[in-house]
Amino acid sequence: MNPIRIVVADDEELARSLVREYLKDSLDVQIVAECANGFQAVKAVSELKPDLLLLDIQMPRLDGFEVLDLVGRETNVIFITAYDQYAIRAFDVHAVDYLLKPFSAERLAEALDRARKKIARGESTTPAALVTEGRAPGTRQDRILIRDGSDVHVIPVAKIDYVEAQDDYVCYRTEGKRLLKQQTLADAETVLDAARFVRIHRSYILNVDRLAKLELYAKDSHAAILRDGTRLPVSRSGYSRLNALIG
Amino acid sequence: VHPLLENRQRLAFYLIAWLPVAAILTIILRRDPARWLETLLLAPPMAAIYAFMCMSAWYVCLIAPIRGSSLARSLGTLAAAAALSSAVWILLGEIWAVALDPWMTTSGLTERYSAQGATIFAIGILLFLLAAAAHYILIAVDQHREAEKRTLEMQVLAREAELKALRAQIDPHFLFNSLNSISALTVSDPQGARRMCLLLADFLRSSLVLGAKKEIPVSDELRLVESFLDIEKVRYGKRLSIIRNVDPNCHGCLVPPLLIQPLVENAIRHGIAPLVEGGTIRMDVQREGTVLEIILENPTEPSGEGLAKDGAGVGLENVRSRLSKLFANEAFVGVSQDNSRFQVRLRFPCIQFGETR
Repeated sequence: MNPIRIVVADDEELARSLVREYLKDSLDVQIVAECANGFQAVKAVSELKPDLLLLDIQMPRLDGFEVLDLVGRETNVIFITAYDQYAIRAFDVHAVDYLLKPFSAERLAEALDRARKKIARGESTTPAALVTEGRAPGTRQDRILIRDGSDVHVIPVAKIDYVEAQDDYVCYRTEGKRLLKQQTLADAETVLDAARFVRIHRSYILNVDRLAKLELYAKDSHAAILRDGTRLPVSRSGYSRLNALIG
Repeated sequence: VHPLLENRQRLAFYLIAWLPVAAILTIILRRDPARWLETLLLAPPMAAIYAFMCMSAWYVCLIAPIRGSSLARSLGTLAAAAALSSAVWILLGEIWAVALDPWMTTSGLTERYSAQGATIFAIGILLFLLAAAAHYILIAVDQHREAEKRTLEMQVLAREAELKALRAQIDPHFLFNSLNSISALTVSDPQGARRMCLLLADFLRSSLVLGAKKEIPVSDELRLVESFLDIEKVRYGKRLSIIRNVDPNCHGCLVPPLLIQPLVENAIRHGIAPLVEGGTIRMDVQREGTVLEIILENPTEPSGEGLAKDGAGVGLENVRSRLSKLFANEAFVGVSQDNSRFQVRLRFPCIQFGETR
């Protein structure tokens, strides 16, 4: 049996050394990388394709949820946290495994066992909903992260013009660029601030700050003209949502 | 509600205590030669009625407490109440005797009863006073029990408040991460693990002791800050460095406890923790004449890249409200931020121990 390949992500060296010590006698487990921040974790997962990521929630650069947002589809995750009420509630709701610091070697072994079974069954993954539900209310993300290979683009939410659905992807338009992210438009909608972003069409979410004017171009059918001249279709329900937001 | 009526057990005891009274009354009223039938029809019912009448002593006890200045008036009230109730009692006895008289085989019950009037009146007064004494004791016992319960409740509340304060002071993240560090050190560096335990105990104890006080000298607060930093140094290693700039003239100034330590904690949590390479925190404690100035500065992530960090806001609000409670509008709390540094500045009067404000 091949050993499970693990990436450990925690910003504290001591915390990583503890995991290392706990696992040093397990022959069926191999630590393939140790990361001290979120960017390193994303890079390690993209490049090494581990079976499992031990992921601390509080980390510099990208926190655990952002790492999950970027690579959660590719690997199994066991979360680690010292104390994080909202995260723990979300883990419990979605039956996601987590370790509370300080944890014992036995507790880690249990979590690994469960993960091993999941991997053997080919199950993976951690629900996308965790990314928003695990955070404390009022700490809405003000940036969108998009992975391009092992690089990560950070887009401040205010710089997004609009978001467009494209098959399995969502395309973010910002400063003349198009950046693709593998998610649904509905997921994008939950992440973006509803006071600024509105779903104007089945396939479009608009940053209302970019709206120049609305045109009626057929009966019951409108088009949004953006400041840069872009025309976007507005559906009937999208029109009423837009009206509700900008009055 | 009358304390005897709200508790069946007490009421039963009270009524049983009246059985000997009924017996004594029967013996006194039996006359010579003994007329047992009429005495038994007369004396026990009278005792029963009086048992209930004497329960009214409770109200008298309430309005006439035996305490210091009003003692004489209370005794007067008590005597009047005893005389009145006894008078009512012999009157009721008289009515009962008159009612019974025609049914008796030997006539003259009413006259015989009346002849005993003075004795019964005296007994009535005595019984009422006894009942009053019993009620005083009952009230005292109840009050004592109530006070005891209240003390206990107060203790529980105080303990809860203490715990709540402790929870508010000590960030659970800090506590659990420190325990995790100890767990990690146990094997690789047992000496270090022990040292960390001692540091943590030291910090927790000082937080508890200082947190319970209203004001403490700056020097005590700074010691707490140092013991906090010692622990954080173990966790963050060389990512955390600190520059201190403390004027010894400030050591005696009084500050609310745990004023500076949470600011240092925030500086690490929001400044150092999110930075891959860590950084330097700067702590200035200076004095300009009678004004104490405390400045804490931490590096931040270059703007645009970081998440908006709230949470610092709540801590600062707390500092602001505590300072304004002590110094009203003489306290100043300011925040400034540029691309790479975040700074909190506190200014308030330096008042030393023994000075009045």
